[in-house]
Amino acid sequence: MCTTPLCDYFAMGGFNPRFKLNSTALWRGYVGSWEIVDDRLYLIGLNGTLEDGSKASLATIFPEFPERVFAHWYSGMIRIPQGKRLEYVHMGYGSIFERDLLLDVERGVVVTTQVRQNGVADSEGAPEDYEVRTMTVFPRTGKGEGEST
Amino acid sequence: MIYLYWYLGVGLAALAVVYGAHRLKKGKKSESLRDLFESVNPDRKKLSYCILNNVVAPTLAAILVVAVWPVAVYRQFKEMLQKTDGTEIEEEREFAVERHHLQEHLTVQEIERREAVIDPLKAVPELPFGHLNAAWQEFLNDNADGGELWSFSARRQTTWGCKELRSGYVVVRDGAPGTHFLTVWKDILDDIDDGAKQAH
Repeated sequence: MCTTPLCDYFAMGGFNPRFKLNSTALWRGYVGSWEIVDDRLYLIGLNGTLEDGSKASLATIFPEFPERVFAHWYSGMIRIPQGKRLEYVHMGYGSIFERDLLLDVERGVVVTTQVRQNGVADSEGAPEDYEVRTMTVFPRTGKGEGEST
Repeated sequence: MIYLYWYLGVGLAALAVVYGAHRLKKGKKSESLRDLFESVNPDRKKLSYCILNNVVAPTLAAILVVAVWPVAVYRQFKEMLQKTDGTEIEEEREFAVERHHLQEHLTVQEIERREAVIDPLKAVPELPFGHLNAAWQEFLNDNADGGELWSFSARRQTTWGCKELRSGYVVVRDGAPGTHFLTVWKDILDDIDDGAKQAH
């Protein structure tokens, strides 16, 4: 998905263990895994490296909730691109795909779901996923970035 | 002919000044910045790009400065004047709660009652503000020396043109809002309804 709810957690005062910037392709230093269960947004995994070189997991940030964390702090739109790629943009999540699944989230709860149609790919062989080289994402002290579902 | 020599001579002097000013302003390029630029534009690594960027473009610019140096001098002066009168590109303003954002005067108990977080899968501590409870406690400790607590809601446009909504609680002292604690920070998107259809 092309949204980073955990970034908001840090920006709103949550514990930030300071991730190491390993690559310009992943400025925030971690990848989060997310799940929607009964219209509620959960963080269910985290992979990253801390500044001291140690591996980071969900337990690094939420020691009492190492398996699942309800993202009640997050409000905003989650964009999940779907289908084949229509246009490649070598910056962050700028690439355009056939559809965008848009989840409007209020304090961790999905309130509306929409699908935005962006067009149909000309080529059958057009890629259907983000590639590693497209993942240049710039962190903000506030919001931004992207994580996986 | 002597006027042409004078013109070109002044042009060379102007080139020296412009080049010196450019070197002073540019400083040393950082490694991470170079990596970033190369990541954004992979063509920067190509020999053709290097020749174009490091040889052809500077040579053309130098010829241009010598040929039309009054324009270069004018631009340099204009740039210097812009720096002194503060009309440079505005940096992002730090968010601060203002009086018109204030909504309701509340006690700590009232706030903590309304900010209880409940989750059927028990993936959140049963404390006010849930996973952000430690941050809330820190906020209260930092502001334990008095002041009123108010809820606030602020819609604003950032320097980059993005609209956002920030809500939460703020300490008000002598009528002036001070430090705040955020509960909502979301971008407001105008165009998502265009071409979108309800999926459920």
